[in-house]
Amino acid sequence: MANIRFNNVQKSYGPFEAIRNFDLSVEDGDFCVFVGPSGCGKSTALKMLAGLEATSGGTIEIGGRDVTDLGPGKRDIAMVFQNYALYPHMTVRANIGFGLKMRNMDKAQINAKVEEAAAMLELTDYLDRRPRALSGGQRQRVALGRAIVREPSAFLMDEPLSNLDAKLRVQTRSEIVKLQKRLGVTTIYVTHDQVEALTMATKIVVMRGGVIQQIGTPEALFETPANLFVAGFIGSPGMNFFRGPVEVENGRAVTRFGDQKVTLNVAPEKLSGTHAIFGIRPEHMVVGDTTMPGAPVALSLVESLGTEKILHFPTPKGQALEGDTGIEGSDDAERDAQTMLARVIDDRRYRDGETVHVALPEGKVHVFDPDSHAAL
Amino acid sequence: MQKRSFLGSFGLYGTVIVVCGLLLFPIYWMVLTALSPRTQLRSYPPKFWPEDPQWNVFSDLLAAQPFGLWMWNTVLIAVATMILSLTIGVLAAYALSRHRLRGGQGLGLFILTSKMLPATLLVIPLFAIFKSLGLVGSLWSVVIAQSTLIVPFATWMLKGYFDTIPAELEQAALVDGCSPLAALVRVVLPVAAPGLAATSLYAFVISWSDFLYARTFLTTSESKWTLNVGIATLKGEFVTDWNTIMAASLMAALPIIGVYLFLERYLVGGLSAGAEK
Repeated sequence: MANIRFNNVQKSYGPFEAIRNFDLSVEDGDFCVFVGPSGCGKSTALKMLAGLEATSGGTIEIGGRDVTDLGPGKRDIAMVFQNYALYPHMTVRANIGFGLKMRNMDKAQINAKVEEAAAMLELTDYLDRRPRALSGGQRQRVALGRAIVREPSAFLMDEPLSNLDAKLRVQTRSEIVKLQKRLGVTTIYVTHDQVEALTMATKIVVMRGGVIQQIGTPEALFETPANLFVAGFIGSPGMNFFRGPVEVENGRAVTRFGDQKVTLNVAPEKLSGTHAIFGIRPEHMVVGDTTMPGAPVALSLVESLGTEKILHFPTPKGQALEGDTGIEGSDDAERDAQTMLARVIDDRRYRDGETVHVALPEGKVHVFDPDSHAAL
Repeated sequence: MQKRSFLGSFGLYGTVIVVCGLLLFPIYWMVLTALSPRTQLRSYPPKFWPEDPQWNVFSDLLAAQPFGLWMWNTVLIAVATMILSLTIGVLAAYALSRHRLRGGQGLGLFILTSKMLPATLLVIPLFAIFKSLGLVGSLWSVVIAQSTLIVPFATWMLKGYFDTIPAELEQAALVDGCSPLAALVRVVLPVAAPGLAATSLYAFVISWSDFLYARTFLTTSESKWTLNVGIATLKGEFVTDWNTIMAASLMAALPIIGVYLFLERYLVGGLSAGAEK
């Protein structure tokens, strides 16, 4: 058990910079998730922490010990790979015990520890099988067993759930979190799935293009995203964006959404330009409450999940966010700037083409600089 | 699986029988020649089984020639060649497969060019080298000479095999506390067993069937001859005893069959199944 520190770590492959100025401190017992679109450098960062990739600059510490130049076997870490990487020629028992054997632990002790880990993961009946005779979920648990049996100071997990089917993934997700809480071992977990990040992490690191975009708790990332990318990446469905003018009325900044005037929770002096980018989460849109100032919109599509509905409607004319916005790579990368979504929990039936009243509550609208895309 | 139609089975088994017949007929003819009395060898129409099989041809051969010694020399050379070639081949192939070396691609191709040179071209410079090293007449000369042919091919064969093994397997072993060499020996090689078996078999067979190098480097004394060199001397200037030659050839082929049977279980792939996903 230990804290983990990245001090200004760099990684480049020739002229290509995979990781830039990576600074991160993970406290003992944290469940820290690296999340970002593919190619953002999250796996590279994990491999450098594991010692499987050399750093090009900076230092890495585990438990206060500089491990930058140590081999993977000397860092006291355990790793779970995306494809599990079980040793196919060994039984489950030998797979789980391999790390202990390499550390010259005596046989009886290894056996006891393996049995204990197997019991924890409900693998006892499969100990003498080989990996190929196991199901995907069982293989995944063997990979976890191989990690926990070593009692390392940190677990590193590289997209361990991506090869499981959807149902098993949700189940295993909570099992991993429970296991981590029980063992209290600092965990670094890499995923491209922001839902996994939000549900599992105590601390999330959002990365893009080798650069950390924001570090924070799931709540902080959801409520106060640092920039347009994080805002679009975290949350499902993703945040709605639109462009709008910035005006000052009675000392308060306001913008327009269609014909509706929207008061902003930002000091007017922060808004230097004449326009900005605005964002609002689909779940924060208020639909049908005519007591709030809002605009009528025509629904282009209604997706119903029973009580929960996703309403699609066109972005007001001239306010769509087009061009390079830096939100590519988020879950709905195919997002259509011309369409906005509202998520409602309501028993009312909505029909395609119906006109409804949509309001943007004050305080729920995020404001981003139109050039730097940073949150204001 | 869909049930094969009668015509499909007929075609399949028919093809198998024809191919096996083509492959086995020369061996059958060797047996026939070895066992037939010399007078019947060129009789027409040919007899497909001798009336009076000459089984004593084998014991006569063993009595007349130091056959056991030749066999022993051949085994020594083949095993040593196999071990030497595989050791070099495994390390080279692993390095080429796993490490992005500067000019690795070019190096890989360069290794292969040496395979393109015919053995007859190499035999004279090799003779000169071995002479200055004092190796002419030693079994090592043949081991080294054969390795020059086998190593490039073994390297390429094994590199192809290593490329199919996910790098995460060794990474897992490294994280589990192995040194890079231990990860290779304990994890990669067992998983690569089918590739190793195929390459070993190749090395063994090539070495076993060598004639050129043994004939060139081992002429000094009969006690160093290999089977192929020995068998070649059975062909006389005036009389050639085909019975004895065929009997010797048959016995020379037996170890190859034995090695094949031993390695067969590893040759059947699929061991790496279950490593992933």
